[in-house]
Amino acid sequence: MTPEEILGQLQQRFGPAITEAEVKGVEVRATVKPEVAWDVCRFFRDAGFEYLNCLSGADWTTHLEVVYDLSSLQQTPKAHLRVPVNRDTPTIRTVTDIWPAANWHERECYDLFGVRFDSHPDHRRILLPEDWVGYPLRKDYADERMVPYTEYGMEEKLAKAEGEKPAVKAVPRPAPVQPAPPPTPAPEPREPS
Amino acid sequence: MSEIHMPIPVGTTVVVERTDETMEEMYVNMGPQHPSTHGVLRLMLKLDGEYITDCVPYVGYLHRCHEKIGENRNYTQVIPYTDRLDYLASMSMNFGYVLAVERLMGLAVPPRAEYMRVILAELQRIASHLIWLGTFGLDLGNFTIFIYCFREREMVLDLFEAVSGQRLNYSFYRIGGMAMDFPETWIEDCRRFLEWFKPRLPEYDALMTDNILFQKRVQGVGILPARTAVDYAASGPMLRGSGIAWDLRRNDPYSVYDRFEFDLPVYDSCDVWARYLVRRQEMAQSVRIVEQALAQLPAGEIQAKVPKTIKPPAGQVYARTESPRGELGFYLISDGSPKPYRYKVRSPAFVNLSVLPEMLKGCLVADCVAVLGSVDIVLGEVDR
Repeated sequence: MTPEEILGQLQQRFGPAITEAEVKGVEVRATVKPEVAWDVCRFFRDAGFEYLNCLSGADWTTHLEVVYDLSSLQQTPKAHLRVPVNRDTPTIRTVTDIWPAANWHERECYDLFGVRFDSHPDHRRILLPEDWVGYPLRKDYADERMVPYTEYGMEEKLAKAEGEKPAVKAVPRPAPVQPAPPPTPAPEPREPS
Repeated sequence: MSEIHMPIPVGTTVVVERTDETMEEMYVNMGPQHPSTHGVLRLMLKLDGEYITDCVPYVGYLHRCHEKIGENRNYTQVIPYTDRLDYLASMSMNFGYVLAVERLMGLAVPPRAEYMRVILAELQRIASHLIWLGTFGLDLGNFTIFIYCFREREMVLDLFEAVSGQRLNYSFYRIGGMAMDFPETWIEDCRRFLEWFKPRLPEYDALMTDNILFQKRVQGVGILPARTAVDYAASGPMLRGSGIAWDLRRNDPYSVYDRFEFDLPVYDSCDVWARYLVRRQEMAQSVRIVEQALAQLPAGEIQAKVPKTIKPPAGQVYARTESPRGELGFYLISDGSPKPYRYKVRSPAFVNLSVLPEMLKGCLVADCVAVLGSVDIVLGEVDR
Protein backbone atom coordinates (compact mmCIF):
# COMPACT_ATOMS: atom_id res chain seq x y z
CA MET A 1 0.00 0.00 0.00
CA THR A 2 1.22 3.48 -0.68
CA PRO A 3 1.64 5.89 2.22
CA GLU A 4 -1.33 7.91 0.97
CA GLU A 5 -3.57 4.85 1.01
CA ILE A 6 -2.48 4.00 4.52
CA LEU A 7 -3.18 7.55 5.63
CA GLY A 8 -6.58 7.46 3.99
CA GLN A 9 -7.53 4.24 5.74
CA LEU A 10 -6.23 5.56 9.01
CA GLN A 11 -8.29 8.72 8.84
CA GLN A 12 -11.31 6.81 7.68
CA ARG A 13 -11.16 4.45 10.62
CA PHE A 14 -10.22 6.80 13.40
CA GLY A 15 -11.53 10.11 12.14
CA PRO A 16 -11.22 12.90 14.70
CA ALA A 17 -8.83 11.00 16.96
CA ILE A 18 -6.07 11.73 14.43
CA THR A 19 -5.28 15.34 15.22
CA GLU A 20 -2.59 15.81 12.56
CA ALA A 21 -1.68 13.68 9.60
CA GLU A 22 0.51 14.05 6.55
CA VAL A 23 2.66 12.07 4.18
CA LYS A 24 6.27 13.17 3.91
CA GLY A 25 8.20 11.21 1.30
CA VAL A 26 7.52 7.58 2.11
CA GLU A 27 6.60 8.28 5.69
CA VAL A 28 3.11 8.54 7.15
CA ARG A 29 3.19 11.03 10.00
CA ALA A 30 0.29 11.27 12.40
CA THR A 31 -0.46 12.72 15.80
CA VAL A 32 -2.88 10.50 17.63
CA LYS A 33 -4.94 10.92 20.78
CA PRO A 34 -3.75 8.65 23.62
CA GLU A 35 -7.14 6.91 24.01
CA VAL A 36 -6.92 5.33 20.56
CA ALA A 37 -3.13 5.00 20.43
CA TRP A 38 -3.17 1.25 21.02
CA ASP A 39 -5.80 0.71 18.34
CA VAL A 40 -3.86 2.83 15.88
CA CYS A 41 -0.76 0.77 16.60
CA ARG A 42 -2.77 -2.41 16.05
CA PHE A 43 -3.97 -0.95 12.75
CA PHE A 44 -0.42 -0.27 11.64
CA ARG A 45 0.73 -3.72 12.68
CA ASP A 46 -2.07 -5.26 10.64
CA ALA A 47 -1.16 -3.01 7.72
CA GLY A 48 2.25 -4.68 7.63
CA PHE A 49 4.40 -2.52 9.90
CA GLU A 50 5.84 -5.37 11.89
CA TYR A 51 9.13 -3.68 12.75
CA LEU A 52 9.21 -1.17 15.59
CA ASN A 53 12.32 0.85 14.90
CA CYS A 54 12.15 3.16 17.86
CA LEU A 55 9.85 4.18 20.67
CA SER A 56 10.95 7.37 22.33
CA GLY A 57 9.63 10.09 24.55
CA ALA A 58 9.71 13.84 24.21
CA ASP A 59 8.99 16.62 26.64
CA TRP A 60 7.15 19.59 25.19
CA THR A 61 6.83 21.36 28.57
CA THR A 62 3.04 21.58 28.23
CA HIS A 63 2.76 17.86 27.73
CA LEU A 64 4.84 14.75 27.24
CA GLU A 65 4.82 12.75 24.06
CA VAL A 66 5.43 9.14 23.12
CA VAL A 67 6.81 8.73 19.60
CA TYR A 68 6.65 5.52 17.57
CA ASP A 69 8.79 4.92 14.50
CA LEU A 70 7.56 1.96 12.48
CA SER A 71 8.65 0.31 9.31
CA SER A 72 8.30 -2.90 7.41
CA LEU A 73 10.84 -5.36 6.05
CA GLN A 74 8.55 -6.13 3.12
CA GLN A 75 7.32 -2.74 1.94
CA THR A 76 8.82 0.72 1.68
CA PRO A 77 6.44 3.02 3.61
CA LYS A 78 7.39 4.07 7.09
CA ALA A 79 5.24 5.45 9.88
CA HIS A 80 5.89 8.05 12.52
CA LEU A 81 3.28 8.36 15.27
CA ARG A 82 3.20 10.90 18.03
CA VAL A 83 0.94 10.50 21.01
CA PRO A 84 0.71 13.44 23.39
CA VAL A 85 0.14 12.41 26.99
CA ASN A 86 -0.85 14.41 30.02
CA ARG A 87 2.11 15.73 31.94
CA ASP A 88 0.71 15.21 35.42
CA THR A 89 -0.63 11.70 34.89
CA PRO A 90 1.29 10.43 31.89
CA THR A 91 -0.28 7.06 31.22
CA ILE A 92 -0.67 5.14 28.03
CA ARG A 93 -1.41 1.54 27.17
CA THR A 94 1.64 -0.56 26.44
CA VAL A 95 2.24 -1.89 22.96
CA THR A 96 4.40 -4.85 24.00
CA ASP A 97 1.57 -7.15 23.00
CA ILE A 98 1.78 -5.70 19.49
CA TRP A 99 5.55 -5.40 19.20
CA PRO A 100 7.60 -7.23 21.89
CA ALA A 101 10.43 -4.87 20.95
CA ALA A 102 8.57 -2.13 22.82
CA ASN A 103 9.34 -3.77 26.15
CA TRP A 104 12.76 -2.26 26.74
CA HIS A 105 11.93 0.95 24.87
CA GLU A 106 8.96 1.60 27.13
CA ARG A 107 11.01 0.83 30.20
CA GLU A 108 13.48 3.46 29.06
CA CYS A 109 10.69 5.94 28.40
CA TYR A 110 9.35 5.34 31.91
CA ASP A 111 12.82 5.61 33.37
CA LEU A 112 13.74 8.90 31.75
CA PHE A 113 10.35 10.59 31.27
CA GLY A 114 8.05 9.02 33.82
CA VAL A 115 5.43 7.84 31.35
CA ARG A 116 3.48 4.94 32.84
CA PHE A 117 2.62 2.10 30.48
CA ASP A 118 -0.51 0.18 31.51
CA SER A 119 -0.18 -3.58 31.48
CA HIS A 120 3.53 -3.50 30.79
CA PRO A 121 4.93 -6.93 31.75
CA ASP A 122 8.06 -5.61 33.41
CA HIS A 123 7.45 -2.02 34.44
CA ARG A 124 10.65 -0.89 36.10
CA ARG A 125 13.60 1.33 35.46
CA ILE A 126 16.21 0.10 33.06
CA LEU A 127 19.12 2.53 32.81
CA LEU A 128 19.03 4.27 36.16
CA PRO A 129 19.23 2.52 39.53
CA GLU A 130 15.92 1.25 40.91
CA ASP A 131 15.90 3.78 43.73
CA TRP A 132 16.42 6.87 41.55
CA VAL A 133 14.04 9.74 42.19
CA GLY A 134 12.87 11.83 39.29
CA TYR A 135 12.83 11.56 35.52
CA PRO A 136 16.01 13.12 34.11
CA LEU A 137 15.09 13.77 30.50
CA ARG A 138 12.21 16.02 31.49
CA LYS A 139 12.95 19.67 30.91
CA ASP A 140 12.17 20.62 34.49
CA TYR A 141 14.48 18.06 36.03
CA ALA A 142 16.89 19.67 38.46
CA ASP A 143 19.66 18.03 40.41
CA GLU A 144 22.27 19.56 42.68
CA ARG A 145 24.96 17.81 40.68
CA MET A 146 24.03 19.67 37.49
CA VAL A 147 26.52 22.52 37.64
CA PRO A 148 26.00 25.05 34.82
CA TYR A 149 28.63 24.96 32.11
CA THR A 150 30.69 28.12 31.89
CA GLU A 151 33.36 28.62 29.31
CA TYR A 152 36.79 28.20 30.78
CA GLY A 153 38.36 31.53 31.66
CA MET A 154 35.18 33.48 30.87
CA GLU A 155 35.36 35.58 34.01
CA GLU A 156 38.94 36.58 33.29
CA LYS A 157 38.00 37.50 29.74
CA LEU A 158 35.07 39.63 30.80
CA ALA A 159 37.08 41.39 33.51
CA LYS A 160 39.90 42.12 31.06
CA ALA A 161 37.43 43.53 28.57
CA GLU A 162 36.23 45.95 31.22
CA GLY A 163 39.84 46.85 32.09
CA GLU A 164 39.76 45.45 35.60
CA LYS A 165 42.23 43.10 37.11
CA PRO A 166 40.48 39.71 37.00
CA ALA A 167 39.73 38.34 40.44
CA VAL A 168 40.42 34.69 40.99
CA LYS A 169 37.01 33.36 41.87
CA ALA A 170 35.58 29.93 41.82
CA VAL A 171 32.24 29.36 40.11
CA PRO A 172 29.82 29.02 43.01
CA ARG A 173 27.88 25.81 43.16
CA PRO A 174 24.14 26.29 43.13
CA ALA A 175 22.34 25.53 46.35
CA PRO A 176 21.21 21.93 46.59
CA VAL A 177 17.82 21.60 44.97
CA GLN A 178 15.37 19.07 46.30
CA PRO A 179 14.20 16.99 43.37
CA ALA A 180 10.45 17.21 42.77
CA PRO A 181 8.61 14.31 44.44
CA PRO A 182 7.19 11.80 41.96
CA PRO A 183 3.48 12.46 41.36
CA THR A 184 2.30 8.92 42.19
CA PRO A 185 4.17 6.00 43.66
CA ALA A 186 5.84 3.88 41.02
CA PRO A 187 4.26 0.47 40.31
CA GLU A 188 5.56 -2.47 42.35
CA PRO A 189 8.72 -3.91 40.80
CA ARG A 190 7.99 -7.34 39.43
CA GLU A 191 9.49 -10.17 41.45
CA PRO A 192 11.67 -12.47 39.35
CA SER A 193 9.67 -15.66 39.63
CA MET B 1 15.33 -47.69 36.87
CA SER B 2 15.72 -47.61 33.08
CA GLU B 3 14.44 -44.00 32.81
CA ILE B 4 17.44 -42.56 34.54
CA HIS B 5 19.44 -42.19 31.28
CA MET B 6 16.84 -40.21 29.32
CA PRO B 7 17.26 -36.41 29.08
CA ILE B 8 15.05 -34.56 31.55
CA PRO B 9 12.82 -31.89 29.95
CA VAL B 10 13.33 -28.39 31.25
CA GLY B 11 11.03 -27.53 34.12
CA THR B 12 10.33 -31.07 35.24
CA THR B 13 10.42 -31.62 38.95
CA VAL B 14 12.48 -34.70 39.57
CA VAL B 15 12.06 -36.73 42.70
CA VAL B 16 15.10 -38.79 43.49
CA GLU B 17 13.74 -41.75 45.31
CA ARG B 18 16.67 -42.48 47.49
CA THR B 19 17.01 -39.20 49.29
CA ASP B 20 13.56 -37.76 48.51
CA GLU B 21 14.97 -34.41 47.30
CA THR B 22 13.39 -32.18 44.63
CA MET B 23 15.37 -30.05 42.22
CA GLU B 24 14.56 -26.38 42.44
CA GLU B 25 15.51 -23.44 40.34
CA MET B 26 18.74 -21.74 41.20
CA TYR B 27 19.74 -18.15 40.56
CA VAL B 28 23.23 -17.50 39.29
CA ASN B 29 24.51 -14.00 38.85
CA MET B 30 26.82 -13.20 35.95
CA GLY B 31 28.43 -9.80 36.07
CA PRO B 32 28.54 -6.86 36.15
CA GLN B 33 32.24 -7.57 36.51
CA HIS B 34 32.92 -10.52 34.28
CA PRO B 35 35.51 -11.06 31.59
CA SER B 36 33.00 -12.37 29.10
CA THR B 37 30.12 -9.97 29.34
CA HIS B 38 32.04 -7.49 27.19
CA GLY B 39 31.44 -4.63 29.50
CA VAL B 40 29.44 -3.95 32.60
CA LEU B 41 26.45 -6.15 32.03
CA ARG B 42 24.69 -8.10 34.70
CA LEU B 43 22.81 -11.24 33.76
CA MET B 44 20.66 -12.97 36.31
CA LEU B 45 20.37 -16.56 35.16
CA LYS B 46 17.72 -18.90 36.45
CA LEU B 47 18.98 -22.41 36.23
CA ASP B 48 17.26 -25.73 36.43
CA GLY B 49 20.27 -27.91 36.89
CA GLU B 50 22.46 -26.84 33.99
CA TYR B 51 19.67 -25.57 31.78
CA ILE B 52 18.86 -21.88 31.70
CA THR B 53 15.15 -21.33 32.23
CA ASP B 54 15.25 -17.57 32.17
CA CYS B 55 17.69 -14.73 31.99
CA VAL B 56 17.11 -11.20 33.26
CA PRO B 57 19.63 -8.69 31.95
CA TYR B 58 20.37 -5.64 34.06
CA VAL B 59 21.83 -2.75 32.12
CA GLY B 60 22.60 0.83 32.99
CA TYR B 61 25.97 0.42 34.64
CA LEU B 62 27.53 2.57 31.93
CA HIS B 63 24.74 5.13 31.63
CA ARG B 64 26.40 8.49 31.09
CA CYS B 65 23.39 10.72 30.41
CA HIS B 66 24.30 10.94 26.72
CA GLU B 67 20.89 12.13 25.59
CA LYS B 68 20.58 14.78 28.27
CA ILE B 69 24.05 16.08 27.47
CA GLY B 70 23.12 16.20 23.80
CA GLU B 71 20.31 18.61 24.62
CA ASN B 72 22.83 21.06 26.04
CA ARG B 73 25.38 21.10 23.26
CA ASN B 74 25.56 22.50 19.75
CA TYR B 75 24.93 20.09 16.95
CA THR B 76 28.65 20.01 16.21
CA GLN B 77 29.60 19.62 19.85
CA VAL B 78 27.55 16.43 20.04
CA ILE B 79 29.83 14.65 17.55
CA PRO B 80 32.58 13.76 20.07
CA TYR B 81 29.89 12.34 22.35
CA THR B 82 28.65 10.07 19.59
CA ASP B 83 32.17 8.61 19.33
CA ARG B 84 31.84 7.33 22.83
CA LEU B 85 28.53 5.59 22.27
CA ASP B 86 29.86 2.52 20.54
CA TYR B 87 33.50 3.23 21.11
CA LEU B 88 34.57 0.28 18.96
CA ALA B 89 32.81 1.73 15.90
CA SER B 90 33.15 5.47 16.35
CA MET B 91 33.16 6.23 12.63
CA SER B 92 29.79 4.52 12.26
CA MET B 93 28.34 6.45 15.17
CA ASN B 94 29.56 9.73 13.71
CA PHE B 95 28.15 8.73 10.34
CA GLY B 96 24.70 8.01 11.72
CA TYR B 97 24.55 11.26 13.62
CA VAL B 98 25.74 13.63 10.90
CA LEU B 99 23.43 11.89 8.45
CA ALA B 100 20.49 12.63 10.73
CA VAL B 101 21.39 16.29 11.10
CA GLU B 102 21.95 16.66 7.35
CA ARG B 103 18.56 15.10 6.65
CA LEU B 104 17.00 17.54 9.07
CA MET B 105 18.70 20.44 7.30
CA GLY B 106 18.24 19.10 3.79
CA LEU B 107 21.98 19.44 3.26
CA ALA B 108 23.80 17.86 0.33
CA VAL B 109 27.26 16.52 0.99
CA PRO B 110 30.04 16.78 -1.63
CA PRO B 111 30.75 13.49 -3.46
CA ARG B 112 34.30 13.15 -2.24
CA ALA B 113 33.10 13.41 1.34
CA GLU B 114 30.44 10.76 0.68
CA TYR B 115 33.04 8.33 -0.61
CA MET B 116 35.36 9.11 2.28
CA ARG B 117 32.52 8.37 4.65
CA VAL B 118 31.86 4.99 3.11
CA ILE B 119 35.54 4.06 3.04
CA LEU B 120 36.02 4.93 6.70
CA ALA B 121 32.75 3.33 7.76
CA GLU B 122 33.60 0.06 6.03
CA LEU B 123 37.12 0.04 7.45
CA GLN B 124 35.48 0.63 10.81
CA ARG B 125 33.20 -2.32 10.17
CA ILE B 126 36.26 -4.47 9.55
CA ALA B 127 37.91 -3.22 12.75
CA SER B 128 34.77 -3.74 14.81
CA HIS B 129 34.26 -7.27 13.49
CA LEU B 130 37.91 -8.03 14.18
CA ILE B 131 37.43 -7.13 17.82
CA TRP B 132 34.25 -9.13 17.90
CA LEU B 133 35.97 -12.14 16.34
CA GLY B 134 38.99 -11.91 18.60
CA THR B 135 37.03 -11.56 21.83
CA PHE B 136 34.48 -14.16 20.79
CA GLY B 137 37.24 -16.65 20.16
CA LEU B 138 38.93 -15.69 23.40
CA ASP B 139 35.73 -16.30 25.35
CA LEU B 140 35.54 -19.78 23.88
CA GLY B 141 39.18 -20.51 24.63
CA ASN B 142 40.93 -19.64 21.36
CA PHE B 143 43.77 -17.36 22.38
CA THR B 144 45.52 -17.23 18.99
CA ILE B 145 42.63 -15.65 17.09
CA PHE B 146 42.58 -12.85 19.64
CA ILE B 147 46.18 -11.89 18.92
CA TYR B 148 45.77 -12.27 15.15
CA CYS B 149 42.64 -10.10 15.03
CA PHE B 150 44.15 -7.39 17.15
CA ARG B 151 47.22 -7.34 14.94
CA GLU B 152 45.06 -6.56 11.92
CA ARG B 153 43.01 -4.12 13.90
CA GLU B 154 46.18 -2.24 14.81
CA MET B 155 46.76 -1.67 11.09
CA VAL B 156 43.27 -0.24 10.70
CA LEU B 157 43.85 1.93 13.72
CA ASP B 158 47.11 3.14 12.18
CA LEU B 159 45.15 4.17 9.09
CA PHE B 160 42.62 5.97 11.24
CA GLU B 161 45.34 7.65 13.19
CA ALA B 162 46.93 8.89 9.97
CA VAL B 163 43.66 10.36 8.78
CA SER B 164 42.18 11.77 11.98
CA GLY B 165 44.94 11.86 14.56
CA GLN B 166 43.13 9.43 16.86
CA ARG B 167 43.29 5.69 17.39
CA LEU B 168 39.79 5.62 18.89
CA ASN B 169 36.99 8.19 19.22
CA TYR B 170 37.86 9.96 15.99
CA SER B 171 35.17 12.70 15.78
CA PHE B 172 36.11 12.84 12.14
CA TYR B 173 32.76 13.38 10.47
CA ARG B 174 31.31 16.87 10.33
CA ILE B 175 27.86 18.11 9.48
CA GLY B 176 28.16 18.60 5.75
CA GLY B 177 31.31 16.61 5.13
CA MET B 178 34.51 15.54 6.80
CA ALA B 179 36.98 17.29 9.06
CA MET B 180 40.03 16.78 6.86
CA ASP B 181 41.05 15.16 3.64
CA PHE B 182 43.10 11.99 3.34
CA PRO B 183 46.83 12.55 3.88
CA GLU B 184 49.17 12.09 0.93
CA THR B 185 50.03 8.42 1.06
CA TRP B 186 46.86 7.26 2.80
CA ILE B 187 45.16 5.70 -0.20
CA GLU B 188 48.22 3.58 -1.06
CA ASP B 189 48.54 2.60 2.62
CA CYS B 190 44.90 1.61 2.65
CA ARG B 191 45.34 -0.52 -0.46
CA ARG B 192 48.40 -2.14 1.06
CA PHE B 193 46.39 -2.94 4.18
CA LEU B 194 43.65 -4.56 2.10
CA GLU B 195 46.22 -6.66 0.24
CA TRP B 196 47.66 -7.79 3.56
CA PHE B 197 44.20 -8.42 5.01
CA LYS B 198 42.68 -10.54 2.25
CA PRO B 199 44.87 -13.63 2.93
CA ARG B 200 44.28 -13.25 6.67
CA LEU B 201 40.63 -14.20 6.39
CA PRO B 202 41.46 -17.80 5.39
CA GLU B 203 43.81 -17.87 8.39
CA TYR B 204 40.90 -17.01 10.65
CA ASP B 205 38.92 -19.73 8.96
CA ALA B 206 41.64 -22.24 9.72
CA LEU B 207 41.60 -21.19 13.37
CA MET B 208 37.86 -20.88 13.91
CA THR B 209 35.47 -21.60 11.06
CA ASP B 210 37.06 -24.93 10.09
CA ASN B 211 37.76 -25.89 13.67
CA ILE B 212 35.56 -28.80 14.66
CA LEU B 213 35.80 -27.87 18.33
CA PHE B 214 34.45 -24.41 17.62
CA GLN B 215 31.74 -25.74 15.35
CA LYS B 216 30.53 -28.17 17.96
CA ARG B 217 30.28 -25.37 20.48
CA VAL B 218 28.27 -22.95 18.39
CA GLN B 219 26.12 -24.99 16.05
CA GLY B 220 22.55 -25.40 17.22
CA VAL B 221 23.06 -23.05 20.16
CA GLY B 222 21.18 -19.84 20.87
CA ILE B 223 18.39 -20.25 18.37
CA LEU B 224 16.69 -17.00 17.35
CA PRO B 225 13.72 -17.75 15.08
CA ALA B 226 13.09 -15.23 12.34
CA ARG B 227 9.67 -14.35 13.70
CA THR B 228 11.11 -13.54 17.13
CA ALA B 229 13.94 -11.55 15.61
CA VAL B 230 11.50 -9.29 13.77
CA ASP B 231 9.13 -9.03 16.74
CA TYR B 232 11.95 -7.90 18.97
CA ALA B 233 13.27 -5.53 16.25
CA ALA B 234 16.67 -7.21 16.18
CA SER B 235 18.89 -5.87 13.47
CA GLY B 236 22.14 -6.41 11.66
CA PRO B 237 23.75 -9.84 11.88
CA MET B 238 20.99 -11.00 14.24
CA LEU B 239 18.50 -10.72 11.39
CA ARG B 240 20.83 -11.97 8.69
CA GLY B 241 21.76 -14.97 10.83
CA SER B 242 18.08 -15.87 11.04
CA GLY B 243 17.52 -15.97 7.33
CA ILE B 244 16.19 -12.44 6.83
CA ALA B 245 18.00 -10.67 4.02
CA TRP B 246 17.80 -7.16 5.46
CA ASP B 247 20.66 -4.71 5.41
CA LEU B 248 20.07 -0.97 5.45
CA ARG B 249 22.93 -0.46 3.03
CA ARG B 250 21.01 -2.55 0.53
CA ASN B 251 17.32 -2.15 1.47
CA ASP B 252 17.23 1.51 2.52
CA PRO B 253 20.45 2.86 1.02
CA TYR B 254 21.96 6.03 2.38
CA SER B 255 25.00 7.99 1.30
CA VAL B 256 26.51 6.35 -1.81
CA TYR B 257 26.06 2.71 -0.85
CA ASP B 258 23.87 2.07 -3.86
CA ARG B 259 26.89 2.49 -6.15
CA PHE B 260 28.79 -0.50 -4.83
CA GLU B 261 28.48 -4.16 -5.55
CA PHE B 262 28.59 -6.35 -2.51
CA ASP B 263 26.94 -9.54 -1.40
CA LEU B 264 24.74 -9.90 1.62
CA PRO B 265 25.69 -12.89 3.75
CA VAL B 266 22.47 -14.49 4.99
CA TYR B 267 22.29 -17.82 6.78
CA ASP B 268 19.24 -19.81 7.78
CA SER B 269 20.22 -21.78 10.81
CA CYS B 270 19.31 -19.01 13.30
CA ASP B 271 22.05 -20.07 15.70
CA VAL B 272 25.34 -18.67 16.93
CA TRP B 273 27.09 -20.38 14.02
CA ALA B 274 24.97 -18.44 11.51
CA ARG B 275 25.69 -15.09 13.18
CA TYR B 276 29.37 -15.96 13.30
CA LEU B 277 29.40 -16.71 9.57
CA VAL B 278 27.50 -13.51 8.79
CA ARG B 279 30.09 -11.35 10.50
CA ARG B 280 32.97 -13.33 9.09
CA GLN B 281 31.64 -12.87 5.54
CA GLU B 282 30.84 -9.21 6.16
CA MET B 283 34.52 -8.54 6.65
CA ALA B 284 35.22 -9.86 3.17
CA GLN B 285 32.38 -7.80 1.71
CA SER B 286 33.60 -4.67 3.44
CA VAL B 287 36.99 -5.19 1.78
CA ARG B 288 35.19 -5.26 -1.58
CA ILE B 289 33.33 -2.06 -0.82
CA VAL B 290 36.48 -0.24 0.25
CA GLU B 291 38.29 -1.30 -2.91
CA GLN B 292 35.47 -0.08 -5.12
CA ALA B 293 35.19 3.16 -3.20
CA LEU B 294 38.91 3.84 -3.44
CA ALA B 295 38.75 3.25 -7.17
CA GLN B 296 35.76 5.58 -7.61
CA LEU B 297 36.94 8.27 -5.19
CA PRO B 298 36.38 11.63 -6.91
CA ALA B 299 38.43 14.74 -6.39
CA GLY B 300 36.88 17.81 -4.88
CA GLU B 301 36.06 19.47 -1.63
CA ILE B 302 35.22 17.55 1.49
CA GLN B 303 32.93 19.92 3.29
CA ALA B 304 29.74 21.60 2.14
CA LYS B 305 29.11 25.22 2.90
CA VAL B 306 27.39 25.34 6.26
CA PRO B 307 26.69 28.35 8.44
CA LYS B 308 29.00 28.91 11.38
CA THR B 309 26.20 28.08 13.82
CA ILE B 310 24.26 25.08 12.66
CA LYS B 311 20.58 25.74 13.20
CA PRO B 312 18.42 23.15 11.49
CA PRO B 313 14.86 24.26 10.75
CA ALA B 314 12.24 23.15 13.29
CA GLY B 315 11.20 19.59 12.63
CA GLN B 316 12.05 16.01 13.40
CA VAL B 317 13.89 13.20 11.74
CA TYR B 318 14.60 9.55 12.38
CA ALA B 319 17.63 8.53 10.35
CA ARG B 320 18.95 4.99 10.39
CA THR B 321 22.27 3.56 9.26
CA GLU B 322 23.80 0.10 9.35
CA SER B 323 26.44 0.08 12.05
CA PRO B 324 28.49 -3.09 12.62
CA ARG B 325 25.98 -4.08 15.29
CA GLY B 326 22.76 -3.36 13.44
CA GLU B 327 20.37 -0.52 12.85
CA LEU B 328 21.65 2.63 14.45
CA GLY B 329 18.94 5.27 14.55
CA PHE B 330 19.11 8.88 15.58
CA TYR B 331 15.85 10.60 16.42
CA LEU B 332 16.33 14.36 16.48
CA ILE B 333 13.81 17.06 17.22
CA SER B 334 14.92 20.55 16.34
CA ASP B 335 13.24 23.73 17.46
CA GLY B 336 15.33 26.02 15.27
CA SER B 337 17.90 26.70 17.96
CA PRO B 338 21.59 25.71 17.80
CA LYS B 339 21.01 22.87 20.27
CA PRO B 340 18.87 19.76 19.71
CA TYR B 341 15.53 19.88 21.50
CA ARG B 342 15.36 16.12 21.79
CA TYR B 343 18.15 13.78 20.90
CA LYS B 344 17.53 10.06 21.07
CA VAL B 345 19.86 7.29 20.05
CA ARG B 346 18.27 4.04 18.92
CA SER B 347 21.09 1.73 19.81
CA PRO B 348 21.30 -1.58 17.94
CA ALA B 349 23.02 -3.35 20.82
CA PHE B 350 20.31 -2.23 23.26
CA VAL B 351 17.55 -3.71 21.14
CA ASN B 352 19.54 -6.84 20.26
CA LEU B 353 20.27 -7.44 23.93
CA SER B 354 16.55 -7.44 24.74
CA VAL B 355 16.14 -10.65 22.75
CA LEU B 356 18.91 -12.44 24.68
CA PRO B 357 16.50 -14.03 27.21
CA GLU B 358 14.56 -15.60 24.36
CA MET B 359 17.74 -17.07 22.91
CA LEU B 360 19.02 -18.38 26.21
CA LYS B 361 15.91 -20.26 27.30
CA GLY B 362 16.68 -23.92 27.10
CA CYS B 363 20.41 -23.44 26.64
CA LEU B 364 23.02 -24.95 28.87
CA VAL B 365 24.68 -22.48 31.18
CA ALA B 366 28.00 -23.26 29.50
CA ASP B 367 26.59 -21.89 26.24
CA CYS B 368 25.64 -18.58 27.77
CA VAL B 369 28.96 -17.00 26.89
CA ALA B 370 28.80 -18.15 23.29
CA VAL B 371 25.28 -16.79 22.83
CA LEU B 372 26.10 -13.49 24.49
CA GLY B 373 29.18 -13.17 22.31
CA SER B 374 27.12 -13.72 19.20
CA VAL B 375 24.91 -10.73 20.02
CA ASP B 376 27.99 -8.50 19.89
CA ILE B 377 27.09 -5.82 22.40
CA VAL B 378 29.03 -2.77 23.38
CA LEU B 379 27.79 -1.43 26.68
CA GLY B 380 28.63 2.16 25.80
CA GLU B 381 25.91 1.97 23.21
CA VAL B 382 23.46 -0.06 25.27
CA ASP B 383 23.55 2.30 28.21
CA ARG B 384 24.47 5.55 26.51
